[in-house]
Amino acid sequence: MQVFKLCMQIIRKNIPVMLIYVILTAVVTALMVSDIDKEYQKEISFTPAKRSIAFISEDNSLLIDGFREALGQIVNFVELDETQLQDALYFREVTYIVRVPAGFTEEFMKGADVKIDKSTVPNSVSNTYIDLFINQYFNTARLYIKNIDGISQELLVQYLKEDLSKTSNAEVKSTTGKKVTYPTYSNNYFNFFAYTLISVIILGMSMLMIVFNDRNLKMRNSCAPVIPGSINLQFILANLFFTFASWAILVVMSFIFNYKNSLNAYTVYFIISSFIYSFCCASISFLIGNLIKSQNAVYAVCNTIGLGSSFISGVFVPQELLSGSILKIASFTPAYWYVKANNAIAKLTQFDYRHLQPIFSDLMIVAGFGLAFFAVALAIGKRKNYIEN
Amino acid sequence: MMFRHIFKYRLKCLLRDWENLFWTALFPILLASFFFMSLSNLTKNEQFNPINIAVVDNGQYRNNKSFMLALDSASKGDERLFNLSVTSQEQAEQMLKDDEIYGYIIAEEPIKLIVKNLGINQSIIKSFLDIYIQTESAAESILAENLSAMQSLLADINSRKSFVNDVPISKVAPDATTIFYYTVIAMACFYGGYLGLREVSDIQANISSVAARVNMAPVHKMKAFLSSAAAALLLHFCEVLILLAYLIFILKVDFGTRTIYVLLTAFVGSVMGLSFGTLISALVKKGEGVKIAIFTCFTMLCSFLSGMMNQGVKYKVDTELPLLSWMNPVNKLTDSFYCLHYYDTLSKYALNMAAITGFALIYCLATYLIIRRRKYASI
Repeated sequence: MQVFKLCMQIIRKNIPVMLIYVILTAVVTALMVSDIDKEYQKEISFTPAKRSIAFISEDNSLLIDGFREALGQIVNFVELDETQLQDALYFREVTYIVRVPAGFTEEFMKGADVKIDKSTVPNSVSNTYIDLFINQYFNTARLYIKNIDGISQELLVQYLKEDLSKTSNAEVKSTTGKKVTYPTYSNNYFNFFAYTLISVIILGMSMLMIVFNDRNLKMRNSCAPVIPGSINLQFILANLFFTFASWAILVVMSFIFNYKNSLNAYTVYFIISSFIYSFCCASISFLIGNLIKSQNAVYAVCNTIGLGSSFISGVFVPQELLSGSILKIASFTPAYWYVKANNAIAKLTQFDYRHLQPIFSDLMIVAGFGLAFFAVALAIGKRKNYIEN
Repeated sequence: MMFRHIFKYRLKCLLRDWENLFWTALFPILLASFFFMSLSNLTKNEQFNPINIAVVDNGQYRNNKSFMLALDSASKGDERLFNLSVTSQEQAEQMLKDDEIYGYIIAEEPIKLIVKNLGINQSIIKSFLDIYIQTESAAESILAENLSAMQSLLADINSRKSFVNDVPISKVAPDATTIFYYTVIAMACFYGGYLGLREVSDIQANISSVAARVNMAPVHKMKAFLSSAAAALLLHFCEVLILLAYLIFILKVDFGTRTIYVLLTAFVGSVMGLSFGTLISALVKKGEGVKIAIFTCFTMLCSFLSGMMNQGVKYKVDTELPLLSWMNPVNKLTDSFYCLHYYDTLSKYALNMAAITGFALIYCLATYLIIRRRKYASI
């Protein structure tokens, strides 16, 4: 086991440098995931958290007062000067600015086509709720104006207040009868795992490659009384050992960051899926290590592949938001299937075979990718040896 | 003459350093392309897929003709909102369990919606029901006042209008995706530090053998350093220009109309990145690997804090830890590009540029103080 021991020694020597990277990636991941988690909790609810908005009215009337009061039920108002608006939106003090133009009420009561101006922070789900509310308020008001001649503003506001207070009754019910809390934090953490793990493994791999690909060392090694197959096997073993050690560290970290919500069945399945994915990462790094000679090139290629596949397969941007054609391309990467399996795990309510089966088939694809990469790497390694001899 | 000589050969050297060229030129372009691929769908109007729902077929539902009509019209046509199935309660529950539908509706008083989990589609169903209930309530009040309005009321209900008009707060709309590209440029400028790292390594005789040879030459050390650094800066600025051209002409990222200022920012940013690399290289007395690791991590952290991976992080730092946001050079560089684009006046931009220039000066000065007058009697 000389080769294996040598690998361990190299890794041990490089622990300080690797720790810099590992800790940084882990902290960044944890911070980012917790941020996403908070945003998610805020956005995804039937009664979204109250957002701060600015309300500027150049029109003074009972209707607008009533509108402002009704809007106040779903948002908080922030008082701002005209000059502060750009800054406020930029720093997200407010996410929405409502501006009622002068003469709005008069025109509106006549039934004319008038609009309220809005300026927003783009891509915020909560803004849609505000849009919806404004539209509903004035559409309903329009019904009254068109169908009751000469209705007073006072009466109109009163009617609207009554109408808009009525809502449907929504209930979240799990099929087992219990209320479930979905593991969004773990889901995000383990999705990010796809990027974190591959970067860490690439690092370790490139450190081994720099030693083993040294021309002189290589020549010395090939005249040692150890068959190439054994060298290869020990190298793979060391690679797998390193991979699973990094995997274990990252899993432990997930417990540390989120110990409260970690002790459940979801975590078990996340751990299984990440284990299979880490095997796949090891084989990818092994293949690249076999194809490319210099250590820095290994790092460059792997980083590109790691970042690239993470971007297109839904690690950074949720899969639902990616376009169909990108996802088709992404389905040629193992990260896509891994993330898909994770998202499916997070949505489970029952852990029986029928519900788990699609997840297992996704994970089988990940494992298949891993085996295929290993096979290709071994074939290339063999061919290279043959040519060199 | 000596300047020209060193400059020329240094440039040749750098152009043959494939690794540095990859990190400083190709990698930012790749990163921008990845952003483009994953973000391109966010701003476009996505094609809406109808939501699968079910309604429980009970007596109350069959008697509530207006609700039936409303659901029916929302489930018809090419631009329909729902794919509706009318089923028994048990079947609806089973469908929900099997993820065939997002939720089912029971036509009670008030109307009830049962879902399994929360999400955007579930919120759309709920909003639809709320709007129905509120409109129905309004219709009842109107008919109580004016029974003859029956016909026109129906027509009015079906002709909903939008009452909001999107007005950008500045000349250009604040586009959520452009800031990602700004961080990429800021990061690319900062990646010039890889060249800076090399410059200092290649001038300190105790670090590399090239440096030992250079120190032998009868040229003042500062002159040798400045000439080679000038070559690195020229190369790096060209790389940033290529990236800018790629972003503007191929990915069509909007940088506003102040092109000269954008170029100026890119140049000052390049100087800052390069000088930061020289500083790290001069400060850290360890081998190349450690220098690169420290530099990479610092750049990653700065980029992260300036919102490269998630914009929420940037806003949190900007609002809650303003000092950290001002001390982060990548963030200030990102802000400079953003201010040029977003604000009507240049005052915010000038402030950010002052910060960047300040950083660059500090880095240069610190590097100078560390590497000056270092002589080697014997190595």
